[in-house]
Amino acid sequence: MSDARADGSPLADRFSKRTGITVAVGVLFVLLAGARLAFPDTIAGDLFAIVTDRTTLGAALRFAVPITLAALGGIFAEKSGVINIGLEGLLIISAFTAVYATDTIAGEGAATQAELWLGLLVGVVASTLLAGLFAVVCIEFRADQIIAGLAVWLIALGLAPFASQVVYDGPNTASVTTPATVTIPVLAEIPFFGALFDASPFVYLMFIAVGLSWYVLNRTAFGRHVRAAGENPKALDTAGVSVSRVRYAAVLLSGVLSGAGGGALALSIGQFTGNGATMVNGKGFIAIVTYLFGNYNPVGAFLSALLFAGLDALQFSLQTVGTGLPSSLVRVIPFVTVILVLALVGRTQIPEAAGDHYESGED
Amino acid sequence: MADAVRLDGITKRFPGVVANDDVTLEVERGSVHALLGENGAGKTTLMNVLYGLYQPEEGRVVVDGEEQSFESPGDAIDAGVGMIHQHFMLVDTMTVAENITLGNEPRKWGWLAVDREQARREVRELSERYGFAVEPDARIETVSVGVQQRVEILKALYRGADVLILDEPTAVLTPQEVEELLAVFEELTAAGKTVIFITHKLGEAMEAADEITVLRDGKNVGSVSADDTDREALAELMVGREVLMETDARPSDPGDETLCVDGLTVEDSRGVTVVDGVSFGVRAGEVFGIAGVDGNGQSELVEAITGLREPTAGRVDFEGRDVADWSRIDHIEAGMAYIPEDRQERGLVMDFDLVENGLLGSQHASAFAAGGRIDWDRARDHAEAVVEEYDVRPPDPDARSVSLSGGNQQKFIVGREFERDPSLLVATHPTRGVDIGSTEFINDRLLDLRNAGGAVLLVSSKLDEVQMLSDRLAVMHGGELMAVVDPDDVTEEELGLLMAGEEPSRSLSSLRLAGEES
Ligand SMILES: Nc1ncnc2c1ncn2[C@@H]1O[C@H](COP(=O)(O)OP(=O)(O)O)[C@@H](O)[C@H]1O
Ligand SMILES: [Mg+2]
Repeated sequence: MSDARADGSPLADRFSKRTGITVAVGVLFVLLAGARLAFPDTIAGDLFAIVTDRTTLGAALRFAVPITLAALGGIFAEKSGVINIGLEGLLIISAFTAVYATDTIAGEGAATQAELWLGLLVGVVASTLLAGLFAVVCIEFRADQIIAGLAVWLIALGLAPFASQVVYDGPNTASVTTPATVTIPVLAEIPFFGALFDASPFVYLMFIAVGLSWYVLNRTAFGRHVRAAGENPKALDTAGVSVSRVRYAAVLLSGVLSGAGGGALALSIGQFTGNGATMVNGKGFIAIVTYLFGNYNPVGAFLSALLFAGLDALQFSLQTVGTGLPSSLVRVIPFVTVILVLALVGRTQIPEAAGDHYESGED
Repeated sequence: MADAVRLDGITKRFPGVVANDDVTLEVERGSVHALLGENGAGKTTLMNVLYGLYQPEEGRVVVDGEEQSFESPGDAIDAGVGMIHQHFMLVDTMTVAENITLGNEPRKWGWLAVDREQARREVRELSERYGFAVEPDARIETVSVGVQQRVEILKALYRGADVLILDEPTAVLTPQEVEELLAVFEELTAAGKTVIFITHKLGEAMEAADEITVLRDGKNVGSVSADDTDREALAELMVGREVLMETDARPSDPGDETLCVDGLTVEDSRGVTVVDGVSFGVRAGEVFGIAGVDGNGQSELVEAITGLREPTAGRVDFEGRDVADWSRIDHIEAGMAYIPEDRQERGLVMDFDLVENGLLGSQHASAFAAGGRIDWDRARDHAEAVVEEYDVRPPDPDARSVSLSGGNQQKFIVGREFERDPSLLVATHPTRGVDIGSTEFINDRLLDLRNAGGAVLLVSSKLDEVQMLSDRLAVMHGGELMAVVDPDDVTEEELGLLMAGEEPSRSLSSLRLAGEES
């Protein structure tokens, strides 16, 4: 009873904090609009123009795809009790594999759209295999999930550029076809929001994945088992459902979703670039932040991924406009904002048994 | 008609222990059967065998006249055996209906989706049939322990259990909730279900059961009909010798206040106020008891008094000095001894032997540590003295704590703390999980300390015990002291109401001792 009281209040203030942030963003927006009207030629004015430009929304949606898909995968894994910190690695491996597969399938000529989707599928398979390895190590051999997750990242970080080196003689792959934009007539004409209906098929894929993930988690028996496995695995076990089977399924699912994310990232550019942190460049880690910010809700994770991606798009536009600020400073805006937002939002409700091993019949 | 359950010559071993030794148990259909025994007697193990969690080395499990070999709880459930464990197996963040149907969700749309309407309806029907008032949509974390227990029972019934096993179901309940649970047993048996419940409380077994089986050291030492036995006979079966049921508590002759707590407020690690402006005093030569259902702030109160947790407001005066912000070691050295509630977590280092454990808290004391070096010979003498005087078995100071039984671990802690010659002893659940023999012994030592002029603060959720030992008794609920009463005057029902946060019909002022404020 006292527990209920204890949990009630942080929940309440988390909501009020979220509302607070929304209001603050709204106020900022209105201030910018005012500035635009009053001083059309200042940076503030430019900023407003950029924020309300539909190409910014279009770019934000495109950037959000890999982050959102990886975050959805992370939600399934962590909700089931396995913290998958290797999302970054899953994105990298699928990004390379999808491009390589598309290129190989297409052979000499340019890849067709169908071949490109086949390439994406191969990317998904690669990521799922790596996730499967991670699952075996964590669930079967009870390795520390954080260390195993870092290993997944490091394996992919080493393997993908190496494979590219072997096949393409360099860290970057050859270029392949990019997906054709899908334009929905009439709706695409709407100012600003038209960008939602004039987008890459991967953007639509993302929307479908968000909706489906929410549905699966909240409305299906499997979703319930996933949640129970992460909150109180013993309760699930005594109810006659195998905890490790549920966890395997959830981790494999995180491989599938991240694989779609990584493949979409590389294929929408038409190339895998493997220099430094590779083209994935921390998106898997940002994905973790976004699902925490979204409190493990797929829709929340998508919205926070969109926030980050929007800031990223903005930062790109700002660099082209020229603000007088050093570009390296502008580039960190999205990261700083995400950290600030996280600090403000405070505690998310982490599943009770996340990170813990579970073995049936143990006391 | 075949018995609902028949266990035949069950033997189950764990490394180093025979938890069940050739146990035979027959349970008649539609009856309430109590499984009685001291801690460690093997009750839980036997029931886990029946529930398929453990596979026995020898013996047969017969349910409904059919021999079974359960590989897992799932098999047991299929055969109509359900078990409600001591620790509830519920998902706190899910609703009552979600928990009850977990693993057996009604589906719709070709197995894709959970049919939440049907789940809710079925849960409501089931709970009405047995007279349970549970709200299908309430989240588990918002309902009381008593309701959670009903959810567990419903969960078993939902899965079609005909035999319900409950492991120490009354341990977490107030006396009123216990009464309600016993009424639930009647509803269940009236509907043809069979109830097996584990307990180590004689009174409960006598009151609720038709038949009682007593386990001792893993053996069945007797099955008797509840009508044909009495408490003394059962106690003798449990312990294996005659037991004095009452500890002799002479009237006390209290002196000055040794401990004075004033307006003490404590927050838990999440920042929630769990002790809310508590004031009381403990005088030299008296036992001051605090009763209450676990989790009402007792732990945090004790931690604040003993220096393990910093209070957010209020004073703790010990022998006239405010010790609220003293360090833990200062408390010990000032003469405040402490028997913690979790002996394995806080009382002992399980991997250490008794010599090392005997040193805990005295590691800086000049008697053992001079010039930065520990005098191991003295430490050994000390441990040997404790072991001998407090009857710790096996009497081997080199034994690691982990190899001792719970009762002997506790006797060692009690001995170590008493050897400090404290002016105040703070004891939290000192006899929890301890066998009757050791309980008697520990309680006698507490009273000896009191009679020698020491002050004792005793926190316990065992009502009979705290009522018997205390000179004054407070009841804690929701972080506050409900009342301070005379333990000889107050009834168990009144205590139960206070523990549930309600006022008994008799006005509190007549219960409260003169001059006492709470
Ligand atoms: N999983 C286990 N591993 C090793 N020993 C165990 C295990 N479970 C119980 N025991 C031992 O078996 C004995 C009986 O325990 P238990 O059945 O829990 O007793 P009770 O429920 O009567 O208190 C005790 O000595 C206990 O230490
Ligand atoms: Mg037990």
